[in-house]
Amino acid sequence: MAPVQAAEALDQSLSPECRVPGSKLYTLAKLNAVKAALKEKRPVRVLSIGSSSAGLGTGSSYPVKLENALESALPDVQVEVESRSLPGEVASGAGERLRTLVAEVEPDLVIWQVGTNDALARVDIDSFAEALDDSVKWVMSHDIDIVLIDPVFTASLAEDDYYNRMVSTVQEVARREAVPLVHRYAAMRFLSTRGTDEAHMLGHRFRLNDLGLRCMAEHAARAITLSLLQSDPAKPDPKSDAKPDPNTIPDRTGTAARPTPGRDSTEAAPATRGN
Amino acid sequence: MREPNAIDFWRGVALVTIFINHIPGNFFERYTFSQYGISDAAELFVFLAGWSIGLATRGRDGTPEPRLTTVLRLLSRTIEVYRAQIVIMSLALAMIAGCALYLDNPLILEWHNAGGFFADPIQTMVGIVVLTHQLGFFNILPLYVVLIAIAPIVVLLGRVSRALVLALSFSLYAASLVFEWNLPSWPGEGDWFFNPLCWQLLLVLGFVSNEASRENPRLRSLARRLTPLGIALVALGFVLAVWELRPDPMLAPEPRLVFTFDKTYLSPGRLIHFCGMVLAFQAVYGLIAPRVMPLARFLSGLGRNSLAVFSMGSLLSLAGQFVRFQTGGGIIVDVSVVGSGLFALGFTAWFVEWRARKPRAPRTPPDGAASRPASPPA
Repeated sequence: MAPVQAAEALDQSLSPECRVPGSKLYTLAKLNAVKAALKEKRPVRVLSIGSSSAGLGTGSSYPVKLENALESALPDVQVEVESRSLPGEVASGAGERLRTLVAEVEPDLVIWQVGTNDALARVDIDSFAEALDDSVKWVMSHDIDIVLIDPVFTASLAEDDYYNRMVSTVQEVARREAVPLVHRYAAMRFLSTRGTDEAHMLGHRFRLNDLGLRCMAEHAARAITLSLLQSDPAKPDPKSDAKPDPNTIPDRTGTAARPTPGRDSTEAAPATRGN
Repeated sequence: MREPNAIDFWRGVALVTIFINHIPGNFFERYTFSQYGISDAAELFVFLAGWSIGLATRGRDGTPEPRLTTVLRLLSRTIEVYRAQIVIMSLALAMIAGCALYLDNPLILEWHNAGGFFADPIQTMVGIVVLTHQLGFFNILPLYVVLIAIAPIVVLLGRVSRALVLALSFSLYAASLVFEWNLPSWPGEGDWFFNPLCWQLLLVLGFVSNEASRENPRLRSLARRLTPLGIALVALGFVLAVWELRPDPMLAPEPRLVFTFDKTYLSPGRLIHFCGMVLAFQAVYGLIAPRVMPLARFLSGLGRNSLAVFSMGSLLSLAGQFVRFQTGGGIIVDVSVVGSGLFALGFTAWFVEWRARKPRAPRTPPDGAASRPASPPA
């Protein structure tokens, strides 16, 4: 996890109730396939998978929010989010199902909320790590970008050693494979410390879960737009896009690269860069 | 009550395998046959369902029962299976919610596709009732409802021409593979986990195999002679499964689903492997049953009462998952969870049969006078 600066500023581009410092929010890395789609000015196809990704039809659901958040962060870009639930454990077969879904949808970007089912099944952490690594490598080997979202924070498991190792395993795999990671756990833990008047009929922790679901789309969209910005050299030069950027450190936090709050959402729109 | 027999025995094996595999991460999971082949217990379950439909729609002497009786029998079975699915889904959602509240742990609400219900109960409630919203591990019975609902067509058409049924069924299967037809999930995107348009072929194969082998001794001896082919296919499946060799769906040529090992669409690889399993194991029951009579009796008991045992097994495996989660698992927990689960499944089978045969109280009210028949095997 990135070192937390003292009194780090909250990311003002997020909705007030979802505001978290950048270092608690994401790890950035390159997204070449999405950039290619943007350059070709075609819609970006996103496959969202994971426990909250059943893609319910209502406007309040995570996939719908994700699509809205991405479209407002990337103006002039059409984003098509396909969402699928992924039952089963990564360590035993869900990776296989993921491959089928990816082949079916053929997306530019996979956003994978991962780890919940494996944590609930208490699968062996090493086999989880290996299977997750395999799946991430497989997606990347087909020139598809992938963003991982780590599991939820919940106070009842804050001291659970196994669960914490699960969360850090997702982080390790993201670092090793140099893919962006949305720190859902850290973000929710941060939000849990913030006082609020908002109540939930099932109590404090369930309110947090609700909030976490609502904010996850924004957090993911933020990590993706900043990753798109970051993988470019400082001066936009379309020709250099394909070359690896030696300055990109996979686990570099978003804070360092974060542009001026409030203005970045338009700057982050890569569609405007090539013009 | 039927004597122990091969069909009930293998159905019992499928039920136990499904129960164990539905507690992911447990110690025994890696010793079920599903880990050593391309196909798994789901194929076995559906094939045997087709096989028993053939048995259930004929009299003891083998004459087909009247058509209307067949239609009504299968309709009644469809309702039973549907009712079971609604009941276990309600109980499962209540168990998930109750467990999340009791353990004060919202993570549990995200259990295998349950999150949708808790995030959006209004639409999802409708989806549950019309079977288009399915929880992970609770997706076999919706398939079964559709299959039993179309079974009257299979049976009645089969009395006219088996070749016609096979041809129609295979055409639907092939078209679904090529054009990727499936029933949709709702609310939410995606499709059914078990695609009925493809899996119907297995039901039809089970039905036709039973019908054809009943009348045709040459076919039976041909099947016997093909046992080595079956063993070769099983061995091949073993190698592919253990070395995790499978086609990459992104690299497979079009139509992609024909070449991958996809469970949803019952890809040909799975189907061929399953047929190999049937050929390889066709005589095994006769060989082992006399040696392990108590086991054969236990598993046949489960198989005879498959719907009740499957339903209880689904709920018990969910409970087992929570126990493993909260205790952290480990061999002692796994032995207790699986052991007590198997005991409970055995009790379920026994209890269903006890309820069916228990003598009615002498002061039975007039409307309760009709005794409940034991559930038909289909």
